[in-house]
Amino acid sequence: MSHDNDTVTHLRLDPDDVGQQDAQSLLEAIQSDLRYEEVIHGCLNCGVCSGSCPSHRFFDYSPRIVVQTVLSGDAEAVKAMMDEYIWACAQCYTCAMRCPFHNSPGGLVMIMREVAVWRGMEAVHRLLKPYGRVLLKVLSIGNQLTPDMIQPDFFPDWGPKIPWSSTDLAIKRKAIPVYTLQVTTSAWRVSPETSYELYSIYEETGVFRLIEEIDPNLYEVVADMVEDLRDMVESSR
Amino acid sequence: MATNSIDRNIKTSGWEFVTKTVDKRALIKNQKPDPREELAELEARGEVKVIHITEENQPITVETLLGRTKRIPTNKLWHHKSCGQCGNIPGYPTSIMWFMNKMGLEYLDETHQTSCTAWNYHGSGTSNLVALASVAVRNWHRAYETGYFPLIHCGTSFGNYKEMRNLLIEHKDLRDEVRRIMHKVGRELVIPEEIVHYSEWLHVLRDRVAAMRIHDVSNIVTTVHPACHVWKLIPEDVIYDPNIYGGERPAPTTAILLALGAQVADYSTWYDCCGFGFRHILTEREFSRSFSLERKIKVMVEEAHSDVAITQDTGCTTTLDKNQWIGKAHGYNYDLPVMADVQFAALAAGADPYKVVQIQWHTSGWQKLLDKMGIDWQSSKAAYEAYLEELRAGKEPEQLYIPPVEQPV
Repeated sequence: MSHDNDTVTHLRLDPDDVGQQDAQSLLEAIQSDLRYEEVIHGCLNCGVCSGSCPSHRFFDYSPRIVVQTVLSGDAEAVKAMMDEYIWACAQCYTCAMRCPFHNSPGGLVMIMREVAVWRGMEAVHRLLKPYGRVLLKVLSIGNQLTPDMIQPDFFPDWGPKIPWSSTDLAIKRKAIPVYTLQVTTSAWRVSPETSYELYSIYEETGVFRLIEEIDPNLYEVVADMVEDLRDMVESSR
Repeated sequence: MATNSIDRNIKTSGWEFVTKTVDKRALIKNQKPDPREELAELEARGEVKVIHITEENQPITVETLLGRTKRIPTNKLWHHKSCGQCGNIPGYPTSIMWFMNKMGLEYLDETHQTSCTAWNYHGSGTSNLVALASVAVRNWHRAYETGYFPLIHCGTSFGNYKEMRNLLIEHKDLRDEVRRIMHKVGRELVIPEEIVHYSEWLHVLRDRVAAMRIHDVSNIVTTVHPACHVWKLIPEDVIYDPNIYGGERPAPTTAILLALGAQVADYSTWYDCCGFGFRHILTEREFSRSFSLERKIKVMVEEAHSDVAITQDTGCTTTLDKNQWIGKAHGYNYDLPVMADVQFAALAAGADPYKVVQIQWHTSGWQKLLDKMGIDWQSSKAAYEAYLEELRAGKEPEQLYIPPVEQPV
C-alpha cells in the first residue's frame, strides 16, 4: 500500500504526526480545522447546551465546559479533556439546535476527537479497542454494521430473541425479498469495483496510514484484504 | 393527543420555550445564505456539476423551517441504502421498495454503493473531512451516471451529506481536494440539487400511501421519535408544516401517521435523542440502555400510553427496540414495539408482516400491536417458516426487485 504525501493541514491531519501530543499543537490543530469557525461563534456561558445534553444526565460531561475550555486557550486543559472527557458526547447535536450563538458543541467535540485520534493519544487505543469489528467492516467494504455482527455473546443484554437473529442466518437473509440484501457478511452486496474505489479514497486521505499507526494488527488484516481485492479487480480488467 | 397543536403541559416545558424563542427566532433572524443558490452560482461558473431534479423525478414541493421551498423527487430514485437498516432492520428498506412497486415508481437498487461511513466517524474519529466528502461525492456521482436521483435511507447519512454538501459549496480548497481524489477513481465532483431523506419522500406521498390502507389504525396510539441527525443537523433544511404541531416541530413521520388515521400522542421528552450515541451503543452500553429506557420508552408508555414507538432512522430503531428487555433487571417491564414509519404504513397497507415488513427481526413484542391492527400474523409466520424450508431445499428466493444486469464500473 502506498503512503500519501501532501497533506492539506486545515482539511485533514497528517498521519505522520501520530505521537505529536504537545498541548499547544493539539489546540492549534483544533483551531485550524476548516470547520472550527463554523462551530464556534462565541459563548454566553448560559448552559442551554448542557441543559438538554443527554450525556450530561449520565456522565460527568458538559458541552458548556468543552466550549469554555477551548475558548479559554488553556491548551493543557484542552488536552486533558481530549483524553476521556469528550468521548462521553452522544453526537446528537441537541446542543447545536439550541445554542443562541449557533455554536455546535457537538461539532467541536468531533473536531477534538479527530485530533485526538490522528495524534494517537493514549486513550484512543483503549477507546477504539471495542470498535475493531466496525473498523474492519468500514475499511474493507464500506459497510459499518453487517448481519453477522449481531451475536448473542456480544449483545447478551439485548435479550433472548437475539439468538434467533444469528442462527440459520444465510437462509433468513435469503428470505428477504431484495437481491442486494441476501448476504450475511455485509449489509448489502458491495461490488468489488466499489471497494476498489473506496480504498483509493482511504489511501489518498491518509486513513489507511492512520490505521497503520494506531492499530498495526488491524492494519495487517485490512492490508491483506485490500491487496487481494485489488489483484482480483485488476486481473478482471 | 397531538395533531394540529402541541399538548398544553408540554407547551409549558422549557423545551418549547427554547424552540420558539431561541432556535427559530435566531435561525429566522440570522438566516444563513441558501446553499442551493450558491450551488447554482458555482454551476453557472462551471465549478461543479449538479444532479438536477427533473420532471421525470416527479417532484413535490414542500416548505422547510425557514419558509424556503424544497423539491422532493418521488420517482426514478437511486437507493442510497443504510448499513444499519440493511444489516439489522431489513424490513425498513423492503417496505420502501414494496411501496414503490405498489405505486409503480421507478428506482435503482444496486451494488455500487458504500455507506456514508459517518456512523464510524462520529463514533471513533477514524476518518476526516476529506474522506467523508469524497465518500459522499463518490456515491452521488454513481447515482448521477445512472440517471437516477439519490434517495438517502439513513438519517445520519442524510445529516452528514447535507453537511458535506454545504462545506463543499463553501470551501474551494475542499472542492479541489475532493476533485483531485475523484479524478484518481475516474469520477467527477457532482453535488445533488437537494439532499433527500426517505421520510421526506414518504411525507410528500402520504395521501397516496394512506389510500392503500386496508387495516383500521384509528385505535392505535403512536409516539414519534424524530431522529437527531434528521432534524438537528442542518435544521434549516427540515420540512415543517403549519398543520403539524402548529409548524413548531418537524412534519415528516407525524404527518404520515395522521394521514393513515392513527393517533399521535405527545410526550414530554419527544426532543431527546434515543441514546444511540454512535460509540455508546457499542462501548458505553449502560448509557444507551439507561437513556433509552428512562427518557424515551418509560415516557412513551407511562405518559402517552403508547401502543407503538415510530421512528424515522436506523440507530434509533435499534436502540429503542433492543434495550427494553434488559430493563427487567431494574423492574422495568416495558415491551413497547418499535418500528419505522414506513414499516407501520406497510403493515397498515396490508404488506406481509414477515416476508415484507420482516417484523420477526424486531426484539420488543409487536404481536399485541398487530392483533390490535387486525393483522393475522400467525398465518404470516406459518407461511414464512414454510418458505424458509423451501429455501433450505434449494428454492430460488422471491424478489421484490432484481437489479438490472450490472455493467463494470
